[in-house]
Amino acid sequence: MLELRLVQGSLLKKVLEAIKDLVNDANFDCSSSGFSLQAMDSSHVALVALLLRSEGFEHYRCDRNMSMGMNLGNMSKMLKCAGNDDIITIKGDDGSDTVTFMFESPTQDKIADFEMKLMDIDSEHLGIPEAEYQAIVTMPSSEFARICKDLSSIGDTVVISVTKEGVKFSTRGDIGTANIVLRQNTTVDKPEDATVIEMNEPVSLTFALRYMNSFTKATSLSNTVKISLSSELPVVVEYKIAEMGYVRFYLAPKIEEDEDENETKPKV
Amino acid sequence: MGIKGLTKLLADNAPKAMKEQKFESYFGRKIAIDASMSIYQFLIVVGRSGTEMLTNEAGEVTSHLQGMFNRTIRLLEAGIKPLYVFDGKPPDLKKQELAKRFSKRADATEDLAAAVESGVKEDIEKFSKRTVKVTKQHNDDCKRLLKLMGVPVIEAPSEAEAQCAMLCKSRKVYAVASEDMDSLTFGAPIFLRHLMDPSSRKIPVMEFEIPKILEELNLSMDQFIDLCILSGCDYCDSIRGIGGQTALKLIRQHGSIESILENINKERYQIPEDWPYQEARQLFKEPAVLTDEEQLDIKWTSPDDEGLITFLVNENGFNSDRVMKAIEKIKAAKNKSSQGRLESFFKPVANTSQPVKRKGTKCVLRPPKPAIKHKMLSLQVCNSMPKTIGSLSMLTLNLFPKQSTPSPRGVCFNA
Repeated sequence: MLELRLVQGSLLKKVLEAIKDLVNDANFDCSSSGFSLQAMDSSHVALVALLLRSEGFEHYRCDRNMSMGMNLGNMSKMLKCAGNDDIITIKGDDGSDTVTFMFESPTQDKIADFEMKLMDIDSEHLGIPEAEYQAIVTMPSSEFARICKDLSSIGDTVVISVTKEGVKFSTRGDIGTANIVLRQNTTVDKPEDATVIEMNEPVSLTFALRYMNSFTKATSLSNTVKISLSSELPVVVEYKIAEMGYVRFYLAPKIEEDEDENETKPKV
Repeated sequence: MGIKGLTKLLADNAPKAMKEQKFESYFGRKIAIDASMSIYQFLIVVGRSGTEMLTNEAGEVTSHLQGMFNRTIRLLEAGIKPLYVFDGKPPDLKKQELAKRFSKRADATEDLAAAVESGVKEDIEKFSKRTVKVTKQHNDDCKRLLKLMGVPVIEAPSEAEAQCAMLCKSRKVYAVASEDMDSLTFGAPIFLRHLMDPSSRKIPVMEFEIPKILEELNLSMDQFIDLCILSGCDYCDSIRGIGGQTALKLIRQHGSIESILENINKERYQIPEDWPYQEARQLFKEPAVLTDEEQLDIKWTSPDDEGLITFLVNENGFNSDRVMKAIEKIKAAKNKSSQGRLESFFKPVANTSQPVKRKGTKCVLRPPKPAIKHKMLSLQVCNSMPKTIGSLSMLTLNLFPKQSTPSPRGVCFNA
C-alpha cells in the first residue's frame, strides 16, 4: 500500500519534464524514507538519480519497499493534466498493475483520478559510491543553461576546466572556438546569484553537450546548480528540489583513445 | 547455416536473453565480425539487378568491396571499432554440409540457365542469388581493402565464428557480430545480429547474452551445446523427428545426448547410424583458434589514402570523389575522442525494492490485464477453493471492496 501526497504538485511535473527526454522507462522505488528513481539513458552514458524524501510530502505512507515501472513519456502526459497549483497524490497497491495519480485543485472543488498501467522494466541499479570531488562549482542554474545552449551552437563537446582562475567552459567546432570563464563571485545581493568554486585540485574534463543540454531541462527546479568534477569520475550536475531532495545527473566523460586497454567486463 | 530454429527457440523459451539495441549504442565498443558471412551478404545484395552486378572495367565483381567499404565506414562513424575475422580451413566434419551446399548451388546454376532462357525476371533474380559463392579472390580483396582502411583483420585457423567467440571470451572484444547462430554454441558471451544490416532497413540490433540464455533455459553450457547439436548444426545430422522444442525437453529431462540415447524410444526416433555427435561437441567446445597474443595484435590505424585510391579508384573503377569523401569520414571518425560509459565507473548492484508487478509468478489466473478484470478473476478462484483454506479466501475477499493489503499472489499459490 502506497499513498504519497505532495502539496506542491508542480514539483513532480517539473521533475518529469526534466528527465523524460533522457530516459524512456524507469522504475520508481518507494521506501519508508522516500520516493526515488535511478535510471540510465539507453546508451549508458548518462544516469539520472532522483530523490524526494518522505518528509517533503504532506502525507507519506509506504508499508513495504516497492518499485513501480513506468513509462516516463506516459507519466508526463498524465501529470500535464494536473494544474500547477494542484495537490498530487500518488497511490499504488501491492500486486496491482497500475498506479493512480490524483489531482486536487487548491480549493478542493475539482478532483481528478488518473490511473496508469505499470510495466515490467528490467533495469540495472548502479552503485554510486560517495566520493570526494576535485572541484565543486555552484552557480546560478540559468547561467549554466545559457552557457550550454550557447556553446552547443558552436561545437558538440564542452571542456570544463577548473583552475585557480575560475571555471572555464570551452568548445570548438567547424566555424571556430568559444571560451567562457566564470570567476568566483560571492558579493551578490541574493545568495542564489553567487558563483562559488571549491577546488582541491585543478581538473579538466570533456563532455558531450547534447547531454548537458538535456540536463538543463531541470533548470526550473532550482535557482542554483552544483557541478562536481573529478578526473576519475563522471561529472555530477545536481539540482536541489525545494527542501525535499534532488535530481542528480551523472555523465561519463569523453576519453582520449587508449589503445592498450581491454574491454571492460561485460555485465552479467 | 548455423543452428536450426535456435532464434525461435530462444524467443519462445528465453525471451529475456534477447534484447533489441540501437546501432548507435555500441559506440566505443570493439566488435569481432564474421567477415565471410558479411561478404556473402554483400555479394547477394549490393548493387544487384537480375544477374547484373557491380563490376570494374575488367568485369570483375566489386559488390563485396562496395559493401565492405560503406558498411565499415558506417561502423567507424558510429564510433564502433570493428575487427574482421576470416574463415580458415573448414573442419572435416563440415565437409558433408559443404558438399550439400555445393550441390544446391549446382542445382541453382541449372535453374538459373533455365530461367534466363524462359526470361522470367523473378526467377532469374532468385536463382542468381542462390549461385553466389564467396571465392578466395573476394576474401583477399576485402582483406586488402580493410588493411588499407586501418581496420584489423584476423585469419582464423578454422571457423571464423569460433575465433570470434574466443576473442569475446578473452575480452579482447566486447561482442561478436554475425548472422550465424553458431557463435552462441561456440560460447560467445555477447552475440549481435543485424549489426551489418543496411541502415535503410531500420532493423534494430539483436543482442544475445549467453549467461542469460543458460539461466533462462536452466541449462549448463555443455547441455546447451548438446541442445544445438540435436536441433541441427553444420557438423552432423540431427535425429529425424526431433526439432528444437523436443530437443530442449529431452535435454532438460535427461541431461545429455548420451543419456537421451539410452532412454529414447528407438523405434520412434531413427538415430543416424554413424552419428559423430561427440566430435561435433568437441568442435564446439575446443575449436581450432588462435590464442597467441602476438598473432592477435589488434590495432586500429590511420587509413592509407594513396593505397585506397589506387585500389578502389584505379583498379576497381570507384568514383574518386566518393572515395575521397569516404576517406575524410574515416579520418574524422578516428579523431573523435570516444564517449565513456557509466559502467566503467559504477558497478551494478542488486536492487532491494520489490517490483510491484511481480515477475516469475507463473499464475494463469492473473493475466496482465487491467486491475478490475483481475479482481473478478480472483473472486472466481476464491469461490472454487476448498474450505480448508478459508482464511485465505477471506483475505482475498477483502481485496474486493477497496483493494487493500493482501497480494493476489497468495491466490496464485493456492490455485
